[in-house]
Amino acid sequence: MIGKLVAQDVLKIKRKGIWFLTFLGPFGVVALQMVNYGVRKAYLLQQSDDDWAYYISNVSAFSPFALILGIAILTSFMASIENETNGWKQLTALPVSKMAIYLSKFTVLVMLLFLSSILLALFSLSYGVFLNLGDEIPYLELLKYSIYPFLASLPVLALQLWVATVSKNQGIPITVGVFGVILSYSAYVLPDWMIWKWPSLLNQWNEPMINVLFGLTFGAILYVIGMVDFMRRDVK
Amino acid sequence: MIGILGSEWYKLQKSKAIFLLFAGPIAGLLIGLVVDINLLPGEAINKWHLALLSMNLNYALLFLPLITGVFASMICRYEHQAGGWKQLLAMPVTRGKVFIAKYLLLVTVILGMQILYLGSVFVVGIVHGITDPFPMVIVWKSILGGWIATFPLVALQLGISIMWKSFAAPFAVNVCFTLPAILAINSDRFGPYYPWAQPFSMMYIGGNTEDVFFIPWDQLLTVVGGSFLIFFICGYLYFQRKAV
Repeated sequence: MIGKLVAQDVLKIKRKGIWFLTFLGPFGVVALQMVNYGVRKAYLLQQSDDDWAYYISNVSAFSPFALILGIAILTSFMASIENETNGWKQLTALPVSKMAIYLSKFTVLVMLLFLSSILLALFSLSYGVFLNLGDEIPYLELLKYSIYPFLASLPVLALQLWVATVSKNQGIPITVGVFGVILSYSAYVLPDWMIWKWPSLLNQWNEPMINVLFGLTFGAILYVIGMVDFMRRDVK
Repeated sequence: MIGILGSEWYKLQKSKAIFLLFAGPIAGLLIGLVVDINLLPGEAINKWHLALLSMNLNYALLFLPLITGVFASMICRYEHQAGGWKQLLAMPVTRGKVFIAKYLLLVTVILGMQILYLGSVFVVGIVHGITDPFPMVIVWKSILGGWIATFPLVALQLGISIMWKSFAAPFAVNVCFTLPAILAINSDRFGPYYPWAQPFSMMYIGGNTEDVFFIPWDQLLTVVGGSFLIFFICGYLYFQRKAV
C-alpha cells in the first residue's frame, strides 16, 4: 500500500518545479563557491595547506542553510498540493490509513532531500576537480559533509512537515521556516540543543556524528508526534 | 482608492498576518540578547552602534528580504482562495488601483515592522545597560533606509505572489535572490548593484554620515529606484493582463 501511495505522491509533484528545486539547491550552494573561488581564488588557496579540506569547509558553510530552506519550501509545497484542490478529503476517503498518507509524504520528502545531498556531493566533487585542488581527492569527506547535514536535519523536516500539514494557512510554516533559516545562519552562537544548529555539524564535543545520531533520534520522535497529531485532527 | 485600501486592511487584519509583524522584531530582539555586545571587537564611539550592528546582520540581510515575500503572499491569499480575484475585480475598481492599494498596504506594514524593530533595538540596549545617549538620527536613517531599500523587493514579490497560488513558489524565488546577497555584501564590485543586498547596505551604520542615507544618492536612485521601477511596472502590467 505504501508503495502505491509514494508512487502517487511522486506523480503529484510532477511539473510543479519541485524536481527543479531539488536540483537547484545543491547547484546553488556550489555556484556560490564558484563565484567565491572565481573572484578570489588565489587568496582562498593561500588560506590553508589542505586545499580540499578548506574547499569542503567553504561549501558546507552554506549547505545546512540551503537544506533548512529547501525543507521549508518542499514541505509547504507538499501540503499546498493537497490544500489547493481540497485533496486531503479525497485522499482520506480512499481505503488508506492517515498514517500511511503521512508516511508517504515524509518518504517522498526524504527521497528528494537525499537526492539533493547526493547531488551536492557530486557537484562539489566536480567543481573541486575543476579547481585542481590536489590529486588526493577526499571522497569520504565529501560524502560525509553532504550526507551528515541531511541526516542531522531530519528533526527540522519532521517539524516542518507537521506544521505544514496541519495549518491551512501556508504562511505559518513558511514563517517557521524563515525563523529556522535565521537560526541556522547564526548556528555558532546557538546552544547545542536547538535542532536548527544540528545540520551545521557543530557541537561542543567537536564530533559531527553526535549531531547525526541526535538528528535520527529526534527526527523519529518528532515524526511520530506530527503523525499522531495529523491522525487525530479533523480533515478540513 | 481609500475604499480599496480600507478593504485590504480589513482582510489583512482577518488573516492574522498582523502577528507576523512581531516576528521580525522578536527575532532581532533574541539575537541582540544572545550576542554579548561588550565582547564585540572594535572601538565604537557609541555602544548603540554595536547593538545595532550585531542585530542588523541577521535582520537586514536575511529576515527583511524573506519576510517581505511572506507578507506579499499573505496579502494575496484571500483572493487566491475560492475565486477571490473574480469577486474583487467584479467590483467597480480598476486592476491598477487594486495593485497599488496592495502595494501601499505592504510597504506600510513593512514600515510598521521597522518601527517595532527600532523598539527592540532600544530594549536590547536597555537590557545590556547601555548608558550612551541614544543616537536618534543614525538609527532613524538605518530604519528608514532599510525600509526604502525593500521597495523593489516588495514590488517583485507582489507580482510573483499574484501570479502563483502557492506560498512556497514565491518564497523559493525570494530565497534564490536573497542568498547571493550574503556573498554580494562582501564584494565591493557587486554589492552596490545587487538589489537584495541594499537593505543591509542601507541599515549598515558606518557609511558616510554626511549623506541622508548610508549609501550614496546615485546608488540609491539607480539601483533601488531603477529596480523598483522595473519590478513595479512589470508586476502592474502583468496584473492588467492576468486572466482571473
